Formats: sequence, structure tokens, C-alpha cells
Amino acid sequence: MVPVRATFEKRRRAKYISHLDLMRCMQRAFRRAGVPIWFTEGFNPHAYLMFPLALSLGYESGCECMDFRIDGDMSMQEAMERLNRVLPPDLQLKSVAAPVRKHTDIAFADYAVCLDCADESVKADALRAAWDTFIAQPEIIVEKKTKRGTAEVDVKAQAQIMMTQTLEDGLWLKLRMPAGTSVNVNPGLLTDAFLAWLPEHAPDVRTGMMHAERLAILCEDGTPFR
Amino acid sequence: MNLFEQIEPLLLRVQKPARYIGGEPGSIMKDKSQVKARFAFCFPDRYDVGMSHLGMKVLYSVINKRQEYWCERVFAPDTDFEALMREHHLPLYALESLEPIRDFDFIGFTLQYELCYTNILNMLDLAGVPIYQRDRGENIAPIVCAGGSCACNPEPIADFCDLFFLGEGEEVDLEVMDLYVKMRDAGATRSEFLKAAAQIQGVYVPSLYDVTYNEDGTVQVVTPRDGAPARVRKRIIENFDACPAPEEFVVPFSEIVHDRAVTEVLRGCLRGCRFCQAGFLYRPFREKKPETICEQSKKLIDNTGYEELSLCSLSTSDHSQIEEMMDGLLTFTDNEHINLSLPSLRVDNFSTGLMNRLRRVRSSGLTFAPEAGTQRMRDVINKNVTEEELMRTCKIAFNAGQTSVKLYFMMGLPTETDDDIRGIIELAQRVVDMFYEMERRPKGKPVQISCSIATFVPKPFTPFEFHPQDTREMIAHKQKILEEAVAGHKRIRASWHFPDASILEAVLAKGDRRLCDVLYGAWKRGCIFDAWSEHFRYDLWLESFAEHGLNVEFYANRPRPYDEVFPWDHLDYYVDKAFLIRENEKAKQAQTTQHCRLNCAGCGVTKVTGHPCFDYKALKEEAKSS
Repeated sequence: MVPVRATFEKRRRAKYISHLDLMRCMQRAFRRAGVPIWFTEGFNPHAYLMFPLALSLGYESGCECMDFRIDGDMSMQEAMERLNRVLPPDLQLKSVAAPVRKHTDIAFADYAVCLDCADESVKADALRAAWDTFIAQPEIIVEKKTKRGTAEVDVKAQAQIMMTQTLEDGLWLKLRMPAGTSVNVNPGLLTDAFLAWLPEHAPDVRTGMMHAERLAILCEDGTPFR
Repeated sequence: MNLFEQIEPLLLRVQKPARYIGGEPGSIMKDKSQVKARFAFCFPDRYDVGMSHLGMKVLYSVINKRQEYWCERVFAPDTDFEALMREHHLPLYALESLEPIRDFDFIGFTLQYELCYTNILNMLDLAGVPIYQRDRGENIAPIVCAGGSCACNPEPIADFCDLFFLGEGEEVDLEVMDLYVKMRDAGATRSEFLKAAAQIQGVYVPSLYDVTYNEDGTVQVVTPRDGAPARVRKRIIENFDACPAPEEFVVPFSEIVHDRAVTEVLRGCLRGCRFCQAGFLYRPFREKKPETICEQSKKLIDNTGYEELSLCSLSTSDHSQIEEMMDGLLTFTDNEHINLSLPSLRVDNFSTGLMNRLRRVRSSGLTFAPEAGTQRMRDVINKNVTEEELMRTCKIAFNAGQTSVKLYFMMGLPTETDDDIRGIIELAQRVVDMFYEMERRPKGKPVQISCSIATFVPKPFTPFEFHPQDTREMIAHKQKILEEAVAGHKRIRASWHFPDASILEAVLAKGDRRLCDVLYGAWKRGCIFDAWSEHFRYDLWLESFAEHGLNVEFYANRPRPYDEVFPWDHLDYYVDKAFLIRENEKAKQAQTTQHCRLNCAGCGVTKVTGHPCFDYKALKEEAKSS
């Protein structure tokens, strides 16, 4: 039995596959691909598949992670090739390797968030200025859904702004957020707070589509989770 | 014109966006510059319902197998997405190419139930296609067509469709597409094409038929024009075993109602239950060989990756070789961790052998359909199931460890009395009693009998097409009796619905062409998703009826004499009206008719096929030797 950690990308149409749907989709892909995946034992055997970190609906990513075990005579490389033949073009494996770190080692994730101006009447500089004012607040309190109802968190204390750029028609941010099995903060918390803040503080700055992409899953020491 | 950029900003604002973006494994992509005709296969309900439908998968595969044709899927958007589509002027698009369907050659709807008709109008409107056929002009495209079981009386939607496919579509759909390409390339107009298409067996072009009415509102005469046939006969696939089944399904990302691989094991039904439209519409009875079923199932599992396989038919346990078929299937499903499920079993031929095979199948409880509570009532509807058989079957199930059984019944059946209604609960109680009399009954969970009681809807092409439906008041009275009868029975749960939707279903099922305007009026008033109780607005329907000087009672609650011209009489589904009349007379006497394998009842099918449906001599010898 060979444990495998695969990285895969989720883009375009595949962005809208929810986490639960993704698990089902992958299980079926293994059967279609004829990859001998290990089944759990017990009364109700099912294909063993682990996704250490869920990705929010609508986010793109080139660095998603999935663990499985090959139970038979097949190389990891071949398993990847077979899976890619039966998976949609927007959902493809990028690499396979033996797992190095434990799932609990995941500590952060990096995201790129791109916020468009609503239309040409909104200037990117104005959007940038609004953002700078917003983010300069000493704290940004938002409501976060937890397993036991909602809790108030200071999302500013959680987020590290790695980079801010003004684009021709929008704003581009690189954010590092806490991630992992116990704490997980979605960058959407910060951008949603910004969008909710805008009408009162900068009513002329109207925004359009938001694009978000996960860039990396990282361990405590800042090295990529492998 | 690919609409991806316009669709995307809306997706995160709606529930389950995966339904609206396509890209699922198994979906067929083609280069549109390389295809000769494009077919938008529309299911007039939500994605999760439509994607569960086997007929769509069959025809999707049949059309796409032809390199020069591209068939794509379209579903009714849920109300949240529809509102955004309208706000942003996003036209209805197909899920493969994400292109507007108004640019397609064919827009085809499948008609699975009458209460989806307003969705058809809504989808045409969202697509930007004129709703009434007469407003579409002489440009040949798009041809709006429809098929499926409700096409047996398409009159209530006749004004909206260019043509209907009657019967099984595997061959006739392609014949019509071939003709279309030929005529379009020769510069034909819409009406020229429709006139030519009407000559193909199984194609009904309603605009080529004039309908006149008597003073009492019944149909006087239906007159064909421009060489259209006086009677349009449905199509069937003669050699069903050789009929190609889909080897691939589009496997959805989001959960759908029936999310599994499905193999069709037989077509038609030999039972002749008098209330059941499908049992008459899909005649003759034809089965696939066990080897074919196993081979097709295996291929489907390999290609879809599904972890569950279901067998589909009107009555799976009527397959003459069901045990061989199950053994063949179980050999590979067991090995490959596949769950096998078997809906549509009958109680009168449910053997211990079958139960033992089913025991290896993970099951969440058993469902049987006695349909009526008393033997007299079951004889009237020709269900041919006795109480002993039901008891025996439940006992087999209890012995196998099951403790919950679901029973389906109807109310409002012809000749029904209050005692027949009470009989439903009494029958369920005798199942409960039998459970407690068993010495080695399953321990732990208490027994639970769930009775689901639907309002009977008389349908065309059944022996009950002549019968009035019970009025709203009669149904209310019977529901009250049920309520009183079930009170105090702890192990029985009974459920039923308000009858309004069933009344509308009866009206649309047996309606005529004048209902087109009523339907349009109801949709204009905001009716869509009539099959979903949270959307159903009977009051708006009644307003529309009143506006057009029509009423539901005329269609639903009027006994229809044998010599009346029915709106669907010019459509030929192989079954004779004379046979339906004979069966109705027998029903009144509570006389049963044997099923087709025991005895040919002379329904009229053999007159068309030219041969008996079964080899009776061989069956007799087989019965003798065993």
C-alpha cells in the first residue's frame, strides 16, 4: 500500500464544485480511472480519500491537496495520468509524492484577491484609497460562523497583508491567513467587511466581481505543506 | 457566443451554482463549426430532477453518437438564478457550450408530467424564443419540439410546439434531424419542413390539424391539412435487446435526486393495471437479456465511476430471468463495492430467492404498492395482488430483518366507497398484527408501516380515461375518513396531499387545445414550478380559467361517454379504444384481466406489430415441465 499526496488545481468551471461534491467527484474519478485505491475496512467500506484543507466555493487554486493510498500494482505517476484523463480539464492533478508533513502541520494559506471596480466610472485609485483607509483601522471586528453559532473576531489581527497593488481597473491583494484543522480564516471575511464598510465611508466606490485564488498552503515555519 | 463571462459574476449569489455552469465529467464537448445541427435538450424542471431522468441520458447519448450532431442539456433555473438572469439580460443557455439556445436548430422538451408545462413557457421566454408557434415566422430554426409520456395528449401545449415525438425517440429523433439538415441546406422554410416532417411515423405537427368543437365544449372533429396523416402512430424500438443503451452518463458534481448508474431492464408492462398510463403507453412488453443487462451495467459503472447501480423498468420482478440477471450483476457489484438497488418490485412474484439476493444489497426499507385497501377495489383497478401475497412478501422482508415497510395507495378510484378508504388502514394494521404474531420477528426497532395515499388522476389511454376525477369535496371527505381511521394506530403513519395539484394534473392530462391560452394566462400571472407545493398557485390558475370562460370541472369531473371524440383520439398508441372500453366495463363488475404472459387480452398491439408478444406455446411447455 502506497500513501500518496496529490496536488491539484481547481479553475474556471470547477471553482463552483463545493467541498462535499468534490469528494464525491474524486471518488468516482478513481473508479473511472481504474486506480486501485485503498478502501476503509469495516461494515461500510468506502474509498479512503482525505482533503486536509477545504477550499471555499468560487475560489480558484493551483495548490489543493488530496491524500489517498494505492492498494495494488500501480505507480503514483500512472495513477495521476489516469486520473487526469477522466477528470474535467478544469480539475487536474499537478503532482504526486509521498506525504511529508502531518495534516496538523498546516498553519497558513496564501491568497490572491482581486477586486474589480464596478464600471469605468469608478477609478481604481479611489478604490485603493478606500482600502487604505479601511485597513488602517486599529481593529476590524466581524462575525464569524463557528460550530457553536457566531463569534466576533478581529479579522485584521488574523490577516497578514503581504502585498497591495492598484490595477488599471481594480485592486489586487496578497493575504496570508491562518489555516488548518483547528483555526481556519477565510480571506472573504476581510473583503466582505470591506464591501460592507464601503457604502457608508466611500459611497462612490462601487465594486464588481471579486476573484480569489489560493496560492499556497503553508506550515508554521512558512514552508509549503508537502 | 459563450456566456461564461456573464454567468460567472452571478454564480456566487445563488444556491448550488454548480447546476448552472456545466463541465461535469461525461458531458460532451464538440466544435460547433464541425457540427451540422445543434439540439438543446430541455428538461422543464430543476437540474437535480432533470439530471436524474434516464430518458434524457438515452437521447443525449443517441444524438451525440452522431458526429455531425451536438446535443446539450438545459434545465429550468431555480427562481433565485432566474431573477438574476432576467435582471442581467442573460438568455437561457445550454450547459455544454454555455451558448444561448435561441441559436440552436432544435429546442426539445421532455414531457414527464403535466405540472411542468408552465416551466416550458418560462424557459422559451428566458431563451428569447417566441412562445406561440404561430409567432416564430418562416425561419426554419429553432424548431421547438417535445416528446415523452405526456406527448400522448399534447393538446394543452399544442400551440407552443412545432412538432411532437410520439413514443420512443431513439430512431425518430435522428430521422427528423436528418430531414431538417437536408431541407435547411436546400433553403426550406419552417412550414415546408413541418409538412415534410409530418410524414415521418411518430411525428405529430399540431399546426397541421384543425380542431372544431361542439356547443357543449367537447371536440367535434380534428381535421388534418396539407397531407398530414389522419392518425399519427407512435414509434417503438422493435428489437429492444439490440437497442444501444448509454455507455456514459454526465456525472453531476452536485447531488441530484437519483445519483447513480441506471440500466433499463425491460420496456412496457404486462400487467394492465387499469389506472396506470405507463402500463398502456409503453406497450408492448420487451425485455433485455441478462447478459446484455450485465454487460451494459458493467460498462456504465466503469465509465461513470458510480458506486451505485439501479435497475429501471415499470416492473423489474416481471423480467422472465430476474434471478439469472441478479446473479450476473451481483458477481461484479460485490467485487467492486457497488450497491445494487431494485425499485419497482411486485408483491405477487417476490420470491425468497430474490430476497436472499436482495439481502446482499444495502437497503433502506422496502416499498410496495397495493394501490387499494380492499380486494374488491384492487380487482376494479386490476392490480391482481392479493392480501395473502402482500402478507407473504412483508413476512419475507421481516424475516430478513426489515422493520419498516412503505405502502403506496390511491384514493378517488372509480367505484370507491368509504369502506375502501378505511380498508387502507385496516390492511396496514393487519401487516402490523402479522409482525407481532411472528415468533422470530426482528428485535430492536418497532415495526413501522408508512402509507402514502395519492389522489387518483384519470389519464388518457387507460380504461379509466372515461371516468370523472373525484371532486375537491369528495377528496376532502375521504381524507377526513382516513384521518379518523388512522387515529390511535401507533405503528401506522399515513400521509396525503391537498388535491388541487392532482385536479390540475387531471385537467391538463385530459385537456384540449383551448387550454393553451389558459396555460399562457397562468404563466403570465406568475405560475411556474406547479409541481412544487411551495410555488403552486391554484388561485392564479383559476383566474386564468375564468378569463377564458373555461372551468376545471368540465375537464376533470365530467364522465366522458364512449362515443365522445377525445382531444387525443387522432393519436395512435397501438392500444384500441375498444379494448379500453372492454376493460372499463370489466372494472365496473370488479372483474380482473390476466397479465399478458398468461393470456393475451387483445389490447390491439399485435395488430400493429404483426406477432404475439409472447411465445405462448413455449411458456405453456415451460410451465408443464416445472
